[in-house]
Amino acid sequence: MKTNGKKAPAAALICGALLLLWFGAPAAPLPAQTQAAATPDGLLFPTFNPPPFDFNDAFYTVNGIDVTQLDTPGAARFGLFRRTGPPAHDGQVNWVIDNTGTDPDRRNVRILATTGGYIDDGTGAPTQFISILAFMLDQGFFTGVANARGIQMASIVSNFEAYAALKQVDAHGVFRPTPCGTMGNGTTPCFPVTSVATPNLRQDWRFATNRNPIDGTAPFGYFCDDILGMWIITYFWYVDTGFGPHQTPLCHQMLAALGGKNGLSLDGTPIIKTGDELNFLEGKVVGTNPIPGFLGTNPPSPPCTAEGQEDTGGADGGSVWLVCPALPDPRNGAITLDAFLDQVRRPNGVPLDLAFTANFVCLQVFGAFCNELSPGQRAAAARLAVQQ
Amino acid sequence: MLSRRDFVKLAAATAAVGRCLQFPAPAGARQQTLKIAKWAHFLTEYDRWFEAVLAKEWGERHGTRVIVDHVPVEEIGKRAAAEAAARKGHDLFMFPWPPAEFQRHVIDHAEIYQAVASRHGNVDRLGHKSTYDPNTKQYFAFADSWMPAPLHYFADQWAAVNMPLGPLHYGSLHSGGQRLRAKLGVPCGLALAPSLESNVTLHTLLHGFGSGILDAEGNVVIDRGARTVAALKYAKALYDDAGAPEQLTWGAAGNLRAMLARRTSSTINAISLLRTAEKDDPEIAKSIRLSPPLLGSAGVIAVPHVTNCSAVWTFAENREGAKQFLADLIDNSKTVYEKSLGCNLPIYQKTVPDLIVRLENDPRADPPYKYKELKDALHWTANLGFPGYANPVAMEAWNTFVIPRMFLRVVKGEASPEDAARAAAAEVTQIAEKWKRL
Repeated sequence: MKTNGKKAPAAALICGALLLLWFGAPAAPLPAQTQAAATPDGLLFPTFNPPPFDFNDAFYTVNGIDVTQLDTPGAARFGLFRRTGPPAHDGQVNWVIDNTGTDPDRRNVRILATTGGYIDDGTGAPTQFISILAFMLDQGFFTGVANARGIQMASIVSNFEAYAALKQVDAHGVFRPTPCGTMGNGTTPCFPVTSVATPNLRQDWRFATNRNPIDGTAPFGYFCDDILGMWIITYFWYVDTGFGPHQTPLCHQMLAALGGKNGLSLDGTPIIKTGDELNFLEGKVVGTNPIPGFLGTNPPSPPCTAEGQEDTGGADGGSVWLVCPALPDPRNGAITLDAFLDQVRRPNGVPLDLAFTANFVCLQVFGAFCNELSPGQRAAAARLAVQQ
Repeated sequence: MLSRRDFVKLAAATAAVGRCLQFPAPAGARQQTLKIAKWAHFLTEYDRWFEAVLAKEWGERHGTRVIVDHVPVEEIGKRAAAEAAARKGHDLFMFPWPPAEFQRHVIDHAEIYQAVASRHGNVDRLGHKSTYDPNTKQYFAFADSWMPAPLHYFADQWAAVNMPLGPLHYGSLHSGGQRLRAKLGVPCGLALAPSLESNVTLHTLLHGFGSGILDAEGNVVIDRGARTVAALKYAKALYDDAGAPEQLTWGAAGNLRAMLARRTSSTINAISLLRTAEKDDPEIAKSIRLSPPLLGSAGVIAVPHVTNCSAVWTFAENREGAKQFLADLIDNSKTVYEKSLGCNLPIYQKTVPDLIVRLENDPRADPPYKYKELKDALHWTANLGFPGYANPVAMEAWNTFVIPRMFLRVVKGEASPEDAARAAAAEVTQIAEKWKRL
């Protein structure tokens, strides 16, 4: 496991203290019974879920993706580009060549950078982990050829949204209430939308991995039909009536309540974890008020937030879609010991949401989510998480 | 979806009916007459078949003279209201949308659903929510088929702005449409002036933005929150930046004519548009592609262009014949699908079991897989009245064009989005109050 050598000791202490609180148990030496359960390869649990590898060219092609476009600097496909740099910190690499994979649809590029996100099933649980393989900047990335089932990949992907929260407060502390480009209202200051690299995010992602035709949430299932694991990026932001000098009293009240529930992003705005929270702040009637502590039932008008997608012709210059398959089951080997967690961090290096850190370490070391572990295992994971 | 209670009730009744699909014929050997008023289909050849073959052959089998009157879509509501008021007219009235506001003048159609269920299974979600009133626990109509409303776009025109797959989401319809108009001089063409097409388009837009007229409990929500205003602002910007004045005056099928003349780059319509193009101008048809509804903040969602709902009046002179005709109609769903050139998708999906195969290899389409985009249409289509049922309030708002008029006022600059939303809400509230009193 790699660590970020540039973190300040104070930050590590803070992080450690917070993690101990999150785990709810003091750090302790690795328990003997856990050590005794170690497998011959040194892991403490059986491994049957494969780690993530990039798809091979043939698989991209039969699924309607133009590989020549993927292999360009703009798309920055892992295996060709971005070996170092965000999300990798100093001493880390985002991917390695690994010939141990057996999946005929994958190539020998194993992904180490593992991005955390909230699940979109209404719980906002920090349980989703994806691998950002490539960025897709316009429709030219689609060949227009339908897949083996006669379906256009673009039609499938429109149902699966990855929610990105770009920073809106600039280095001088100025709040920018609208995106630059086609999603915005044309006013300035606006925040740039050309990169969703982690240093540009104010909070962690939300991924709609749960959508499927059985419960009617989508005509397709993410893990059944979206077999490249692609997403359309839905950007969401606080508008001028939601935050900043023109904030309405209602938005002020709602944001205070939501911030109390979820905590604050790097911008000082509340973290948004669920679809209902975002929709409600956008002014949509969602049935029950998803923000405890706020007494009203009507959504705000004018709204506090907005959302949108980039121009599919590439006019905004950023990423419209992502090839970022989520790990179907991150337990039991899917997160290897050399993988690292890509998550939003405060300027001092402390993770914004320690729940991701904790789950990542539990999965990496014990092959299970923290809430599935024994108290002793949780304590051991807490000790290791401090080093993250 | 059918509730468990509804389902059990329907299943029990179906078992009781058994395999018998016969409604009792009136005693006596005198030849009966069955009078049908039917909305005029977008494809005239379908109506010719319906009258000259389907109705005629059914009449011969049942010793009945069948009279079919084709009523233009724009006159359906008026004609039905006149018959209901006079308590006289046709036996069977076929609407292109749920006739919820006529439910006091029609029979409970549950027994037709029960009779059909023994052969073809239960009614699906779209048919159920379009014809069932949870308050009265009765079916005010019988749904046999429907038409989805996909986006039609010219692939060659959108390719000029680097969007060969079409706009895909509302943001790109605006930004790409703006570039396309600037580059080619062709506006994007959503129907705005009151008509069936604008009703479909603008209800779809409203739902795509996460708003609607009523909530699931029937409360007026059009002015609650900020989503209606967001949709109105969007429509205004779309019109200003990528539209054309002629959109404001389009009558019935105005968007279709504009597409066939290549004077607009995209529109929302039933596939009768593309079928017409295939027949009249194959070169134009070749350039037109279909896509599912645009992605909005509420996901990928549309209302149906048509929900074919038939109602038997309580004052029908040949009530049993009308019920029998409707039950037998489902046996002909496959032919209905074929004769409508694939426009009328079946409510009872088992009646066209190879629908997907047909969609992916259509003999008239170029390329032949063009219609495959409709494969999941049931998933992205919500009934009128969504998220609730098609109730009288929602349908009166539909028939009086509350939503198109609201949008039109904003687009024309006659009202602010906020004022237009408030006015529409007041109008719907008035409609709701009226129905509470009835």
